[in-house]
Amino acid sequence: MTTGALNDSGTGSPAPKQKGRATVDTLSIGCIAMVEKDGRPRRAEILSIKETKSGRQFYCNFDNFNKRLDEWVPTARIDFDQDVEWPSVEKPKDGKKNAPPTSKKSTVAKKNVTKRAVPTTREASAAVSDGGTPHPWTDFVDSQKPTPGPDGEEKLTLALDLDATPGAEDDDPMDVDEVAAKAVAAKTDTQEEFSREEEIEKLRVGGSMTQNQAEISRIRNISKVQYGKYDLYPWYFSPYPEAFTEEDVMYICEFCLRYYGDIKSFTRHRHKCTLQHPPGNEIYRDDYVSFFEIDGRRQREWCRNLCLLSKMFLDHKTLYYDVDPFLFYVMTSRDEKGCHLVGYFSKEKESADGYNVACILTLPQFQRKGYGRLLIQFSYELSKIEGKLGSPEKPLSDLGLLSYRQYWTENLVEILLEYNEKDERCSIESLAQQLAMTTADVEHTLQALKMQVYHKGEHKLVLPTKLIERHKASKEKQKTNPKRLIDPTLIQWKPPVFTASTRTWGW
Amino acid sequence: MRPQMGRTTRVKKLQPRAPQPILRQDQIESDEYDSLQGQYKVETGVEKSEESEIHLQAALAGTGSDKETEEIPAPPAQESSDFDYDALYSSVYEKPATYIRFSQTVEECTGCQYDMTTEDDTFLKAYNQKKSPNSHLSEDDFERIMESYEDTAQIQAPFASVDQTQIPFDTMRNSLSKQLDSKYQMYAKDIYDHWKARRQDTANRPLQPSLKFETQPDHDDGDPYVCFRRREIRQTRKTRARDVQSTDKLRKLRKELDIGRELIRMTSQREEYKRDLLATEKHIFEQRQKVKEAKNRLNIKGDDDDLINQVPRKRKAMDFNNQARGQQPAPHLRIPSHRSDGRPLDADLETLAEVMARKENIINKELEEKVMKHRQWNDKHIDVTREPLPPVHGIGNGSAFRSATAQYQLLTPPSSVASDSSDHPSPSKMDIDPPAFRFSSPLDEEETQAQPAYRRRFGRLGRLWIDRRGMTAVNKEPHEIESDRWKYDQDDDEEQPVYEMDPYSTTALRFRSTIPLLSPARRVQQAESQRPGISSSPAAARTVSVSQPAPT
Ligand SMILES: [Zn+2]
Repeated sequence: MTTGALNDSGTGSPAPKQKGRATVDTLSIGCIAMVEKDGRPRRAEILSIKETKSGRQFYCNFDNFNKRLDEWVPTARIDFDQDVEWPSVEKPKDGKKNAPPTSKKSTVAKKNVTKRAVPTTREASAAVSDGGTPHPWTDFVDSQKPTPGPDGEEKLTLALDLDATPGAEDDDPMDVDEVAAKAVAAKTDTQEEFSREEEIEKLRVGGSMTQNQAEISRIRNISKVQYGKYDLYPWYFSPYPEAFTEEDVMYICEFCLRYYGDIKSFTRHRHKCTLQHPPGNEIYRDDYVSFFEIDGRRQREWCRNLCLLSKMFLDHKTLYYDVDPFLFYVMTSRDEKGCHLVGYFSKEKESADGYNVACILTLPQFQRKGYGRLLIQFSYELSKIEGKLGSPEKPLSDLGLLSYRQYWTENLVEILLEYNEKDERCSIESLAQQLAMTTADVEHTLQALKMQVYHKGEHKLVLPTKLIERHKASKEKQKTNPKRLIDPTLIQWKPPVFTASTRTWGW
Repeated sequence: MRPQMGRTTRVKKLQPRAPQPILRQDQIESDEYDSLQGQYKVETGVEKSEESEIHLQAALAGTGSDKETEEIPAPPAQESSDFDYDALYSSVYEKPATYIRFSQTVEECTGCQYDMTTEDDTFLKAYNQKKSPNSHLSEDDFERIMESYEDTAQIQAPFASVDQTQIPFDTMRNSLSKQLDSKYQMYAKDIYDHWKARRQDTANRPLQPSLKFETQPDHDDGDPYVCFRRREIRQTRKTRARDVQSTDKLRKLRKELDIGRELIRMTSQREEYKRDLLATEKHIFEQRQKVKEAKNRLNIKGDDDDLINQVPRKRKAMDFNNQARGQQPAPHLRIPSHRSDGRPLDADLETLAEVMARKENIINKELEEKVMKHRQWNDKHIDVTREPLPPVHGIGNGSAFRSATAQYQLLTPPSSVASDSSDHPSPSKMDIDPPAFRFSSPLDEEETQAQPAYRRRFGRLGRLWIDRRGMTAVNKEPHEIESDRWKYDQDDDEEQPVYEMDPYSTTALRFRSTIPLLSPARRVQQAESQRPGISSSPAAARTVSVSQPAPT
């Protein structure tokens, strides 16, 4: 299985990269160096560099690690005794060389993009074994503090100058704007190689994206969020106003999802905010959770705020287009303060590809508590009411894939065991109908679970003993500790109908 | 999906519709099962570059095997330590008994849209210290003023951060007095100065950080901070016909613009000519004045014909007009003197309601005529066939059933083509309108519930008939035994039907007692249904047919 997944590596390898020793001063953005992570050296790409009180730090993206594990690394964790791979130099523009970090680099984006597009050799097979080691999250969290402290020099020495906004300290904003525009234009140029058009088209039709070429978006920009009772540590970039990237903490009101950098402003807002549940119609309620349906067109601000919040935890979500064409199904848990947002999924009002979910997220503080299963089940219950087969939009995130796999497996095994006991046959299509899943999803799940076999000239479904045992065990466990499920009879919902004009105008 | 070849067997395509046998692993040879693995390359739906991530791989391996499912590490959330949740989220939530229905927006639920910052707070505290306690400015009021300034700035100078427009205090004060109570005026100037200072600190951008929206679609495509773009309108399909259509439209537009321009050019020329004419006339007048003076001086006597215009002006103008019409140099402009609806150009536009009303009038009139014609044609005709055509309303006064009460209480459904959809006919109006048509013979059930009605008519040989309708039936349901008797009866038109009746039933007796004794020469046959005399269904047979002598 592992080897199968690696077959994209090493194909079409370009001209060999330049390698050589680097020092703290020459290690630049785009370099690939060996950096210590979880107690062992790993290949890491340097995405940004900043100066702190305690010295220079490097923002590293580790090979075969999800971006959410990217972190700011002090010099001590970088192995300078090994060669680094220099970013491939491509006809540097405006005569600028591959200079040390403090100089301006308008070609950075280009190099990085190029690197990204070229598959590098992966070392996954070697690394698989220790995937489950515990993580020193305290260290991780500490390392994410963005500012160097009161001595307040430049915070990001190097943050990609391409994306520098018209700075407040600049005298003439017109000039700055021009510079920014040029920079952005230059960046756009470099991206054209990757068929910008196609990418945009993909964005237009879907709610998620495969890659965001803009370099700045590879770097986490918000370090800490105070939300409800919790401190959240964002995983990915989210396009909150740039001013917030400089704040230590961003405060988010847990009911209206507005964001504040200033504690006084946030306090004042809390004083005035009267929302205690998502601003839409409740369509499901049991003693545990509620679901609300919210129309992106009618609740534009709230839905935008929700998207900004969820973008911090969803890599492939795109906020390129507005929220109008989506409905948001928001799951909440109730207490004496109100209905607290636990998770949600968005759904296109009209999906040409038959998707029943565009983006799906359980907020980090509620993860691993079985809420994801409820969200997924709810999305399929809606599809059942619509009389459609549904599927989540691709690409899935790693966590998304696991949640869906688990949900699909549980339900398929349950049904197939019944058939097996009755000694009856069952078609893939019948399974799809019973679960409101697409036949493709059923097929892929059966294959992934090694259930689909071709045996003695006949396609057969085989229930692996391990799955049967696991299923029995979970049944046993449910007797004492019942699993939470959505009760379809409590759904008060009719598929919304949109007028001809909404269809014509595409939102 | 694609089974790996190289096996000796040819693999049949997997059909989603095909029922497959379901086996447990222990129902198949274990080494055989193992050998069957690896037939498919699994589609995960995760992006290819991420599929190889080690934590995902570990977790997936867990899902498929007996290893405990691995968890993917992620920076966790923590309970906030130095944060007073209960103070900030103080309001208590009452769960409503029913599902919530809610449509207010965030903006409507958050009061004043300006939230004062720490900096504002410092300023306001210092400011209030200088004031007497009863003229302190509250935080709420401060925010209201700031909100007003920010709104005004946004409206008056939306590009302030680019062009550095400063909104002068007078403008601010004016809009403030429009938006808020006059009591705020005393703070206006001081808060304005504070506002202005803060705007200057932030390069004259709005004080509250806002999202970056699209400004130049071509340029900020790659800017990851630009979000929530408007989705472009779905392109209408391009076809040759559509292209031709647009070209025609453009050509026509161009022509019309040319005509307009020509018209203006000629108008201006006309005015120039007029000016020249005036100048010439003035010149003539002056010259004549000189002539007159000269005449006087030289004492020339004679008529003063040369001092006036010989030809009357009007005729001249007419000549000119005739001439001009003959030549017609200007592009021909046809201004229609009437609109398509036949009214003069300057009349009010017709409303839809008027058009609908007119159409309805025409239809009504036609119907009226048809009804009249039908009535004439049917004059003196009495339909006693077995299945008479539905009677046209108001036909032959004498032969019509007359309602025993004043009016029908029939509900008419609202007309499908209403003259104004929002204007439902009022119930009272519906009551007044008598039902003009019936679309089919009324059903039996309907009849029994209708008001009792009677009709008198003359039959053959001058017999007088009284038809009743809408009488309450004597027996609601035929008894089972009774209906059973007809079970095998065949309808036979030739045969005179026999109606069951109990001559001793009290209802029948009471009824008969109301009929006066009459000479046997004439008989009144009383039938209940519209199909007098004949009925084939047992249900209809409950009706009573009585023959009694009737008066002449
Ligand atoms: Zn709020």
